[in-house]
Amino acid sequence: MTAVEVENLSMSYKAPVRKGGLRAAFGSLVRREYKTVQALDEVSFTIAPGEVAGFIGPNGAGKTTTMKILSGILHPTSGAVQVLGTVPWQRRSAFLKRIAFVRGSQPVGGSQELTVMDSLEYQRLLYDVPRTTFRRTLADLEALLELEPLLERQLRALSLGERMRVGLAMALIYHPEVLFLDEPTIGLDVTAASQIREFVQEYVEQTGATVLLTSHYMADVASLCPRLILIDKGKVQYDGPLAELSARLSPYKLIRISTQGDPSSFGEVVDKADGRWVLRVPRDEVAGTTGRLLQALEVVDLAVEEPPLEKVIDQAYREGLR
Amino acid sequence: MRTAVLLGFRLRQEVLEWSGAWWFLLTLVVQAVVAPLIGLFVWSAVYPDDPAIARYYVAVILVTLMTESFEQHTFSERIYNGTLSHELLRPQPVVVGVIGMNLAIRAWLTLLGAPIVLLTGIALQVGFDWWAVVRSTPYLVLAAVLVFLWTFLLSLTAFWTDRVHAVVGFGSQLVFLFGGTAAPIGLLPDGLRRVAEVLPFYGMSGLPAEIAAGTRGGGLLVYQLMWIVGLVGVVMVLWRVGIRRYTAVGS
Repeated sequence: MTAVEVENLSMSYKAPVRKGGLRAAFGSLVRREYKTVQALDEVSFTIAPGEVAGFIGPNGAGKTTTMKILSGILHPTSGAVQVLGTVPWQRRSAFLKRIAFVRGSQPVGGSQELTVMDSLEYQRLLYDVPRTTFRRTLADLEALLELEPLLERQLRALSLGERMRVGLAMALIYHPEVLFLDEPTIGLDVTAASQIREFVQEYVEQTGATVLLTSHYMADVASLCPRLILIDKGKVQYDGPLAELSARLSPYKLIRISTQGDPSSFGEVVDKADGRWVLRVPRDEVAGTTGRLLQALEVVDLAVEEPPLEKVIDQAYREGLR
Repeated sequence: MRTAVLLGFRLRQEVLEWSGAWWFLLTLVVQAVVAPLIGLFVWSAVYPDDPAIARYYVAVILVTLMTESFEQHTFSERIYNGTLSHELLRPQPVVVGVIGMNLAIRAWLTLLGAPIVLLTGIALQVGFDWWAVVRSTPYLVLAAVLVFLWTFLLSLTAFWTDRVHAVVGFGSQLVFLFGGTAAPIGLLPDGLRRVAEVLPFYGMSGLPAEIAAGTRGGGLLVYQLMWIVGLVGVVMVLWRVGIRRYTAVGS
């Protein structure tokens, strides 16, 4: 049983192109030229019910396009997709009531003149949420997302962080079973982003919802997603545990050491300040190097760390997966 | 029933939304009444002794205000800027939102345009047979449906072209020429009149206005209904084909 099943999903579209200059502009009046853009190329993956998967990749990799297809907004060029046993782009009401797609760039759609409470009430009508369930869920969301001060405010008057909280509340008021989160923390400050992360984690724990999350912030991915799907140029490049990706991409680990001595001969020095050093050491030599460091120097503190996820992912984007 | 409740709620939303743009709505009112006013002045000069001309054109102004459609600005723009995605995610037909906005704009135009209709009527000493006005109501309702379907149909071309305003502008000119605004279709040359009586445009404007003005008894509901059925069919086909082309790239 899978919540999301994607098989050989491809999506291409034609984009008009023309060279610069007046001649080309006149030429395009007679004969327009198009370039076929391959947004997705034979993408396949499955997500089990209750699983939280991170969907990462550089800009233009095809993340949002995939999410739009999975939520029924777009029709793919080819391939098979089932979300909760339904073909999404048939857009059946029963299916749309079981999923939510929240975008950090546009968290709240619809009339901006309405108050938050009016918008939530509209969601109740739209998604046929019984009044008692609505009140109970709203009370929970008020507590989790600190919604109370926002309920009487108009949507147009909300800050970005507030809009995201409201967007999540509007998406979750009807208890979707599958949640597509596209850059949910984009543009938010550290505190707001952390609040959103905690909230999503809590929601998943409480409801067992399936989540597919895209984010350029590795803090989101690292804290929420045990599994990563890395996509680039429309193709899945990696699908597996986060730690495995890190090990595969970076054959080194970091040893963080506090000492009065000089450990530079034990590994490549990445950073040093006030007796604190960071050494880069090949993964298979970490145990031996640590032992030798402890014997040779008076060590105050020592820690072995994975390289920062941002660096690993950046390397994957730049150089691809080996 | 559920659709009616959702439509009612959407209508309320849109009325609120547009209430903040009353000055813009006023410009739409002016745009809507200019063409019938020109027709009124021209044909009143040609037939100065015929009170039916002024009565007819006052009715045309009212029909125009009550049936105006702007889906090329509302719906098509959503295709262009990608916000149609929000509508596609909702468990309701997308057209519910489009109709809600259409009705809200019409309500505002009618409200804001009513003084113009009233002043024109008083200035030209136009008197209506109120029974004829009541009889025109079903024709007016069907005219409103026809105008919406026609504009929505043309607005759907936004899935194929980024020049939807030109397409809808052309469609509006057909309504102006053959619908009874440029001239009451009874005054058109014989050949054109016969064509105009068959096309849907007369049912969008001239027909309800003629009935309200008392220059025609009625009896053409079937003609309007047949065009509605035909346009609904074409709209459904175009929607199904068009939505497959929706890409919403980068939004």
